[in-house]
Amino acid sequence: MKLVFVNPERCIGCLQCEFACAVEHSTSKSGTSAWMEEPTPRTRVHVDPGPVMGTSFPSRCRHCDPAPCQQVCPTSAITRDAEQDLVLVDPQTCISCAMCAMVCPFDALTFHPVEVGTEVRTVAVKCDGCVDRVRRGETPACVDACKVGALVFGELNDLVAEGRLRGSGSVLAAVTAAEASEEAVADGPTAAWRSWGAAASRVESTATTVGGGSR
Amino acid sequence: MSTREFKDVRALSIASDAQQMIEVARAEGIETVWDRLAAQQPQCGYCALGVSCRNCAMGPCRIDPFGAGPQKGVCGADADVIVARNLGRTIAAGSSAHSDHGRDILEVFAATAHGETNGYRITDEAKLMRLAAELGIATDGRTTTAVAVELADLLMENYGTRRAALSFVERTPKVRQDLWDSLGVTPRGIDRESVEMLHRTHMGVDNDYVNILLHGLRTSLADGWGGSMIATELSDILFGTPSPVVSTVNLGTLKPDMVNIALHGHNPMLSDVIVQAAEDPDLIALAHELGAAGINLVGLCCTGNELLMRRGVPMAGNHLMQELAITTGALEAMVVDYQCIMPSVTDVAKCYHTVVISTSDKAKFPGAVHMSFDPSRGMEIGRDIVRRGVEAFANRNPSRVRIPVEPVQLMAGFSVEAILGALGGTPAPLVEAIADGRIRGAVGVVGCNNPKLTQDYGHVTLTRRLIENDILVLVTGCSAVANGKAGQMMPAAAAMAGPGLRATCEALGIPPVLHMGSCVDNTRILVLAAALANHLGVDISQLPLAGAAPEWYSEKAVAIGAYVVASGITTVLGVEPPIFGSRNVTGLLAGGLDDVVGAKFAVEADPERAAVIIRRHLEAKRAALGLPAIDVDTIVAPVATA
Repeated sequence: MKLVFVNPERCIGCLQCEFACAVEHSTSKSGTSAWMEEPTPRTRVHVDPGPVMGTSFPSRCRHCDPAPCQQVCPTSAITRDAEQDLVLVDPQTCISCAMCAMVCPFDALTFHPVEVGTEVRTVAVKCDGCVDRVRRGETPACVDACKVGALVFGELNDLVAEGRLRGSGSVLAAVTAAEASEEAVADGPTAAWRSWGAAASRVESTATTVGGGSR
Repeated sequence: MSTREFKDVRALSIASDAQQMIEVARAEGIETVWDRLAAQQPQCGYCALGVSCRNCAMGPCRIDPFGAGPQKGVCGADADVIVARNLGRTIAAGSSAHSDHGRDILEVFAATAHGETNGYRITDEAKLMRLAAELGIATDGRTTTAVAVELADLLMENYGTRRAALSFVERTPKVRQDLWDSLGVTPRGIDRESVEMLHRTHMGVDNDYVNILLHGLRTSLADGWGGSMIATELSDILFGTPSPVVSTVNLGTLKPDMVNIALHGHNPMLSDVIVQAAEDPDLIALAHELGAAGINLVGLCCTGNELLMRRGVPMAGNHLMQELAITTGALEAMVVDYQCIMPSVTDVAKCYHTVVISTSDKAKFPGAVHMSFDPSRGMEIGRDIVRRGVEAFANRNPSRVRIPVEPVQLMAGFSVEAILGALGGTPAPLVEAIADGRIRGAVGVVGCNNPKLTQDYGHVTLTRRLIENDILVLVTGCSAVANGKAGQMMPAAAAMAGPGLRATCEALGIPPVLHMGSCVDNTRILVLAAALANHLGVDISQLPLAGAAPEWYSEKAVAIGAYVVASGITTVLGVEPPIFGSRNVTGLLAGGLDDVVGAKFAVEADPERAAVIIRRHLEAKRAALGLPAIDVDTIVAPVATA
């Protein structure tokens, strides 16, 4: 089953995914006029700043299985689309009790006014995996908008393997270069790998001192 | 980051030559503007709404139009301020481009007056004397040189800070001048207004969106009644005032057996000399020696329009044809000056024998041969450039030559002088035809191509609907090329027009679509509008006139749109400008402005619907003037039939 995978180190914080998500979940589907609609269409992907300036993470519903939100929903408003394997909220049945939000490991649910039949009610709003687009064989809007490969769409194990290959390539390059000569250590993939490692350890140490806290 | 399939070429352009050459480019793996547009999708939504700002290093900032995120930049600017600042800077850039072009012409004019150039002369002495007299310079008994020197000095002063109003503001009706004064938008100095706009839009200066937009109008007026107008008037004096001329258009103007040299860009300063240089017997002999039948010059974009208007040089195409002209495999040299020349032309040229020759020290292109143009050695450099093109013929691969179509005829050369000449020296016959309703009004259909829209569809469709409904259409720039290719610009095209316009065109022997020149020559439309208003003793905004830029893309087009509206002519844009992130700015430009300057903007991508908007506007203006008018509610778009 295909899903949206995040490469956080590639996110540049441009917010294009947020914009595209809000437009995709509008009536007009127009980048010019979507924001003028009532109720205002909302993004379901949230680019939150990381602990170090210039880092960010596009966070969205992971469509867990089993999904804690689905398990606790008292009105069974949250269901799993069997065909696309996506967790969906039915605004008709949602009572805005926020149980789902309390148990969500990723704080992916927000509450906003949406059109429910003829009335406007505040209900749980979250990523629907662009189920309509995916049914048409298209990629989700956030992935389509991402120019840097921070959000990618594909088979889970393929995406993991791709990352593993990148990692092993860098490690091997580093090892090979280190063995080859001292000068070569200073450039190319080796340097990139080492600076990545240094940056990652800085992020970890800052994260522990600054502590959590998200939007 | 998904891969996309190629779109059907019929969705990219209505022009057969473009469609065929796009197929060739695809087959050969040559990247074109349409491929790059697809790769850019989706484009930045914040920037498209105008709510992103990178004017300072506290930013970059953007406003969340959906309301959940930040509503102010770091400095505190809200969507109104950010949108207005961005628009102001866009107008300043467009105005600067036109005006710097005008300055280059002015400097050559001044140097020619002082006898310091080679390859130039005062071609239209009568126009020089007429213009000098209009601007208060004594002409009686004085030499051409003396008058030209004084005129050059006066116009150079127009670029500076020593005037309260630009010289050409006097051409507008008094009521319009008073309006501009009362709004504080009378343009004072051509450079000054652009510089002041950059100042005002620096962080912490003008934080009132209305005040910024008013200065935007002033900045644009400094272009329309300043820089661009100087470019047009002095180009006429140096190279000749256009008069009706028949020529040909499309990629079929390239000749398989000749050395083909395309002159691309905007400034006629160099290209006019090249036309002379290409007549050099030695260079023609060299072409024969290399097996060519001769030297064939063609135009691209507005350099092409300048040469077409004055010398009848055939026109290869408009903005989106620049890469495709190279893919014909028949182009020896593309000589470029500046503006609208895609950086990609040198990449496409690498796939062929084509030499790209850059000539302006302001505009260099990696991958091009730079031959710095110096007016004091004009002819010599012109010959060197042509020689370079002729020599490239030896490298041509005849098996790759694909000229897709036969050329189409068009008539160009309609300067204001030529139009008034055709009317018998006075606007009275045109005014009468408009007054009695044979002609409902006049519309300037101008502006660029934009790959977001099907190339030329907007220009050709809108123009066709207007002439069918007895509306005279004035075209410049890319729109002129589009209409020419569609066969709408020969006198015989009067048959496409409504009965009133048709009869008028047939009586005068003119097409229903008049080519008025390059994009700086939009000032000819301003001059004609002012002349009509002055003739009737009304303001420009009272006349049944409109502007349209169905396929605009450039900053210059924004400046043009702004000065046309500020001059009192309502304008319909075919591409959304990046202002929709501010309700207030959008509301002002598309509505409130009408109460301020008597004109406003509308945005409509569908030319069928744009035609309805324009026809209703013209009829409303007619009714307000007490002229016979059609009930606007009866004007509706044609229903699509399957």
